[in-house]
Amino acid sequence: MKYAHLVWKNLWRNKLRTAMTGGAIMLAVVLVCLLLTMPAGMDAMLNDFANNTRLTVHNKAGIVYSMPYSFVRKVRQVDGVAAAVAWVWFGGAFEEDGRVTFPNFAVEAEQIGAVFPDYPIKPEQLADFQRYRDGAIVGRQVMNKYGWKIGERVTLKSTVWPVDLDFRIVGVIDNDRAPHFWFNREYLDQALREKGRNGLGIAGTIWVRATDPRQVGSIMRKVDEMSRNSEAETSSETEKSFFSNFFGSLQGLVTIILIVTGLVSLCIVFIAANTASMGVRERAGEIAVMKAIGFPRRVIFGTLLAEAALLSIFAGVAGVLLALGLTGALKAAAGFSEMLGPLGNFIVTPFVVVQGLFLSLFVGMLAGVVPSFGAARKSVVQSLHEVF
Amino acid sequence: MEPVAAREPLIQILSVSRRYVRGVDEVHALENVSLSIAAGRFVAFMGPSGSGKSTLMNLVSGIDRPSEGEVLVAGQSLGELDEDELAEWRARHVGLIFQFFNLIPVLDARDNVALPLLLTDLAKSERLRRAETALRVVGLEERTDHYPRTLSGGEQQRVAIARAIVTDPDLIVADEPTGDLDARNAEAILELLRRLKNDFGKTIIMVTHDPRALRFVDHAFHLDKGLLLEGEDAERADRAVQLAAGGGLLSAAGAARPGGAA
Ligand SMILES: Nc1ncnc2c1ncn2[C@@H]1O[C@H](COP(=O)(O)OP(=O)(O)OP(=O)(O)O)[C@@H](O)[C@H]1O
Ligand SMILES: [Mg+2]
Repeated sequence: MKYAHLVWKNLWRNKLRTAMTGGAIMLAVVLVCLLLTMPAGMDAMLNDFANNTRLTVHNKAGIVYSMPYSFVRKVRQVDGVAAAVAWVWFGGAFEEDGRVTFPNFAVEAEQIGAVFPDYPIKPEQLADFQRYRDGAIVGRQVMNKYGWKIGERVTLKSTVWPVDLDFRIVGVIDNDRAPHFWFNREYLDQALREKGRNGLGIAGTIWVRATDPRQVGSIMRKVDEMSRNSEAETSSETEKSFFSNFFGSLQGLVTIILIVTGLVSLCIVFIAANTASMGVRERAGEIAVMKAIGFPRRVIFGTLLAEAALLSIFAGVAGVLLALGLTGALKAAAGFSEMLGPLGNFIVTPFVVVQGLFLSLFVGMLAGVVPSFGAARKSVVQSLHEVF
Repeated sequence: MEPVAAREPLIQILSVSRRYVRGVDEVHALENVSLSIAAGRFVAFMGPSGSGKSTLMNLVSGIDRPSEGEVLVAGQSLGELDEDELAEWRARHVGLIFQFFNLIPVLDARDNVALPLLLTDLAKSERLRRAETALRVVGLEERTDHYPRTLSGGEQQRVAIARAIVTDPDLIVADEPTGDLDARNAEAILELLRRLKNDFGKTIIMVTHDPRALRFVDHAFHLDKGLLLEGEDAERADRAVQLAAGGGLLSAAGAARPGGAA
């Protein structure tokens, strides 16, 4: 610590050079921080559009036509399918309205959670949904519209099936824009049998969740293949499917980003090392005198290295702050304009901050270590002889 | 009669040679030099350029090691110390002054003088206090917070002398301390060194080309081509230097003494 004064004074010996070297390291840190936010940022952007590893399957003839219920089981067997759930349009109207004011479907209670894990539904409510035959899960939008509460009973008159059903609300999809009303498929099935009709042997739409977004395309192809030449050929679609191609190229992009990051860092190491060795050479006389006076090699080495480390820490902190400022500005800009929205995803996380600081420290130390070591190692006579 | 301790030589150089390898050649900078210097003496190493003066000085101050022979300072054989021990020994026992002042330009006079004290355990306030005391000894108490570039050459050299004495070393070694100064400043420095000997009992070894130095030193050793001149050769060299300094009139008391002892 008693050398702090010396190190500090030496650091500012040549202000312009120190500022330029620091500036180079700082810009490298900014660049690297921004580059490092990109993979995560792009991932987040994709998730915004395509958090959906989901796709839908419906009758090729149109969504009003159905598929045999047995087809759902076949779909579940397709490679890459994590879960699948059949929906059947109930077309229920609430009380006096007399017409359908929100979409309501009979769904498989035990499957729905696995296909929509991203929907904000409490696990215990999903469990209730499976437990109560007459249970229903309702989107927050509908709940709000009618002022419904959990535990309330509501009756829907179907405009499609010859039944009215009485439901108990057991859960809510906690999103203000969620318009769904889901109820148990079994419930409708039994109600129909009680009316002396056949059970519910159909699926209107099948929702499928893939284990991996990259497999969405192949699942769609296989499902449509399976139904070919059957009485109900299917058509699968997802608006997000084109993103799956994107995912493949993202991997390459990440690799390129890492390579660029490495090259930038290396470049700065060379620049900083050159400057450091110039600085050490310029001071050769003083260093020789200090050694002659009795400063041990480790102190010479240590103070020179500390100088490099100090400079790079300053530069690193400045660089990280600049990167934070830049991404913050991007985010603010994204707040103003919908078009810029996705840019808000590029966030300098604490991990990126740590990486940036380590990078600058690493650059500074690496640049400082060689000349410092050389200066410390050289024998005193040799240094004196070369200098005088 | 002098006390026994005073007659014990502080420095003993025993059959020392120093050769440098330069490319395929070997440079014989010093050949089989033996001499001794008593404590409290002010001696000069003189001789033409390349005669080995600096080499000898470096050996005495533990900056360099001989290829052959032994250097003893206050009974300590320097050859027994490793690199770091030698550095520590120098820090404790030797004050060094060079031709070019080599003050640290980013430190003010006081911090420059206090520099060697960084190697001690002294508190900062004590280090600075001692630095100020040393600056007072060299007459620069008014300049403590001046940076080297704002000081004249003579003043810078006095700061370097203050730095050399701040650790209170037994031995002060100076390589051409007046080499870069005009006559007036050179004499002031020589006078200052002599005072360090007289008032503080320091042993001082000075490498110099400067014939005026002869008036201030107790003894001059003459080197030529790596050899120490002795007997008649040494006397002749002394007379030549005195002549150069303005005719033997100014010969300092007890200067030329035959043999290799001061
Ligand atoms: N580190 C070294 N490496 C190689 N040769 C050296 C080294 N130091 C000194 N020499 C050589 O040894 C010889 C004696 O050098 P030294 O520096 O002792 O001379 P000097 O008497 O001090 O000369 P000057 O008056 O020019 O300073 C010279 O030939 C010099 O070139
Ligand atoms: Mg010399």
